[in-house]
Amino acid sequence: MRGALAGSLALLTALTAAGCGGGGTQEASGAKELEVLYKVEPTWPHLEKMLGDAKKQYEAAHPGVTVKLTPVQGNNEAYYTKLALLNRSPDSAPDVYLHDTFQVNADVAAGKLAPLDDYLAKWPDWDSQFPDSVKQAAKGVDGKIYGVPISTDTRGLWYHKDVFAKAGLPVPWEPKTWDDILTAARAIKQKVPDAVPFSMYSTKIHGEAATMQGFEMLLYGTPGGTLYDETQQKWVAGGKNFTDALTFVNTIYREELGPKQADAHNAKLADKVNLEWFPAGKVGISLDGAWTAAAWKPTSTKPWPQWQQKIGWTAMPTQNGEEPGAVSMSGGWVMAMSSYAKLKQEAFDFIAVATNKENSLTYSVSTGDLAPRKDVAADPKYTADNPSVKFFTDLAEVTHYRPAFEAYPKVSAQVQEALEAVTTGSRSPEEATAAYAEALPAAVGGAGKVLAR
Amino acid sequence: MTVATAPASAVTGTPAGGPPRRRRVLRWLLPMAPALVLLALFLAGPILWSVYIAFTNETLTGSASVNSSFVGLDNFARMFGDPNFVNSFLLTFVFVIGSAVIGQNTLGLIIALLQRGRGRVTRSVVNGVVIGAWVMPEIVAAVCWFSFLAEDGTLNTVLGISQEWLYTAPMLAVILANVWRGTAFSMLVYSAALSEVPPDLVEAAAVDGASPLRRLLHITLPLIRRSIMSNLMLITLQTLASFGLIYALTGGGPGTASQTTPLYMYEQAFRYFEIGYGSAIALVMLVIGALFSLVYLRLIKVEDA
Repeated sequence: MRGALAGSLALLTALTAAGCGGGGTQEASGAKELEVLYKVEPTWPHLEKMLGDAKKQYEAAHPGVTVKLTPVQGNNEAYYTKLALLNRSPDSAPDVYLHDTFQVNADVAAGKLAPLDDYLAKWPDWDSQFPDSVKQAAKGVDGKIYGVPISTDTRGLWYHKDVFAKAGLPVPWEPKTWDDILTAARAIKQKVPDAVPFSMYSTKIHGEAATMQGFEMLLYGTPGGTLYDETQQKWVAGGKNFTDALTFVNTIYREELGPKQADAHNAKLADKVNLEWFPAGKVGISLDGAWTAAAWKPTSTKPWPQWQQKIGWTAMPTQNGEEPGAVSMSGGWVMAMSSYAKLKQEAFDFIAVATNKENSLTYSVSTGDLAPRKDVAADPKYTADNPSVKFFTDLAEVTHYRPAFEAYPKVSAQVQEALEAVTTGSRSPEEATAAYAEALPAAVGGAGKVLAR
Repeated sequence: MTVATAPASAVTGTPAGGPPRRRRVLRWLLPMAPALVLLALFLAGPILWSVYIAFTNETLTGSASVNSSFVGLDNFARMFGDPNFVNSFLLTFVFVIGSAVIGQNTLGLIIALLQRGRGRVTRSVVNGVVIGAWVMPEIVAAVCWFSFLAEDGTLNTVLGISQEWLYTAPMLAVILANVWRGTAFSMLVYSAALSEVPPDLVEAAAVDGASPLRRLLHITLPLIRRSIMSNLMLITLQTLASFGLIYALTGGGPGTASQTTPLYMYEQAFRYFEIGYGSAIALVMLVIGALFSLVYLRLIKVEDA
């Protein structure tokens, strides 16, 4: 009896040990494996295709190393969560992953990312093909580089020419101030009642898109408007710029110039606007990113070849036409390496393959995102079927970058609270600004890091 | 509890040799050891860890994920000062009362009562439909209700109106969906309890001239009161922690209009990466669940006495 018990205990211990040591035995067998994490959505299959190509090329050139592609199904917010959870432990952390640049510094502070400077120094493409502005995309506060950009972006206004014609508005349309946008939206509401005059992201369900495409496109267009004061190195607590930006959003929803509340709170708003409303002529203006046209290209799930005749694009104006007249925000995604990666050189080699000219071109052409590489940007294939690319690339002259410090994701969450409050009307712009100012110190780590306005 | 008595009876048969008490403990402990180790490792461990985390400022990323520090009761102070938490707490209360205590409980009892004495065919059909909703995975149920309530969904088509139910009445929508999904459990509990009620007692009352309502209130319900209490306790605890259905239907929105405490916890812990704060919320929910259970257990005792 006792012998049997001891035996079963020993067996249990052995099983537990075997379970814990699973990762180790795999390496002992000599097979090398790189795990690559990325995101995929039914309407956004482009990265999967590019990484599939990169895997084949890499494995052919590096016998003995296999690349394991691990997709995360879902939107950006789901991807951020999944990645953060996997990164909790060295056992589950992927070796290489797609990373949104605004989260880089938080992960650098957490020690999750490996600096790439030593590898980049030996990679000729880095110096010859990546412009200096693009190289900053994933720069840590310590000055080291933590990711190779696979895409960058700018934002602006997309509008439907037929809707504008029906509303008696000029085409091409070049708004100079926020008021010009509101005037156009009001005309559309009056003359084309079945179209949504102006669409933007302004609710928590859209996460960072609400902060960046929605709020920051407004805030950074006000005189001196910013979330972070570079000279004093403090976060700006509200103030008039902040209230003005919220007032614009408030006007859109109180005058019913935006999507219906139910749509504003629908996670699939982008699909509704781009795949349903634009092709049906049911939306006038959309404040969105350079990649919007990808929804209508032949590689999309619902191609719409007529878009080149029906759709116009223009820059988002500053509040009252202040210099330089237009505003844009830029971010982007990088391929990053985990600090837990055991095969660091192999991991970097894979990043280099995934971001080489051929793969970068595949990706940029299918997504409509702006190419980070000079040789891709110069390739005729890149601009061939997308006349909007040059315009959005040129917006780089007026673009702003987010203050992508460690605290930024938390600040962004507070911005979304304020935005949603004025969208639903639960708070006035002034009240929402006050609530933001009150919540900011806790989000950025103390009142000492906040500049009161 | 029955486990504790078993070794006691076994011990009477053991010959004396060494202190009997120690032997008894050893005899009991040894076969249980693997189970106890596993429980400690996989159940108590995570629970204790999350209790500890609730008192730190741990995050999923950023410097506080590597250098988290003990912050005492800060998380709890922040929670009770946050209007969104207070809001989520009230919504959870509405959700539990509306969908579990009133909805599932009452509807389950009514269906069980109505089924008594019906033909086999009727019973099978009703049981099939109700249990079908119950065995359906939460996410599938949510998708069904989403398409039922959507702007171009079944309900609006039947009524011939255009109404965004999930936006205009999100709490009502999630409560109805949860009642639809969870009623089967109460129905099964009550069907079993009602079959234990002696028919001759009810018939005797009928012969004495008691109306059906009086027979229900004075004979049937008192006889199944223990089942009522256990059922209430179980469905309350289930509903308190309900997440998937609401998350898939409304995501807690619009705004925070249907953000019950589990959804608020998810948002803080996994969207804003505040895992310490999220654990503190979980701890408070655990306490609330325990309080509910205590109240129900006390009620059962009072009734017994």
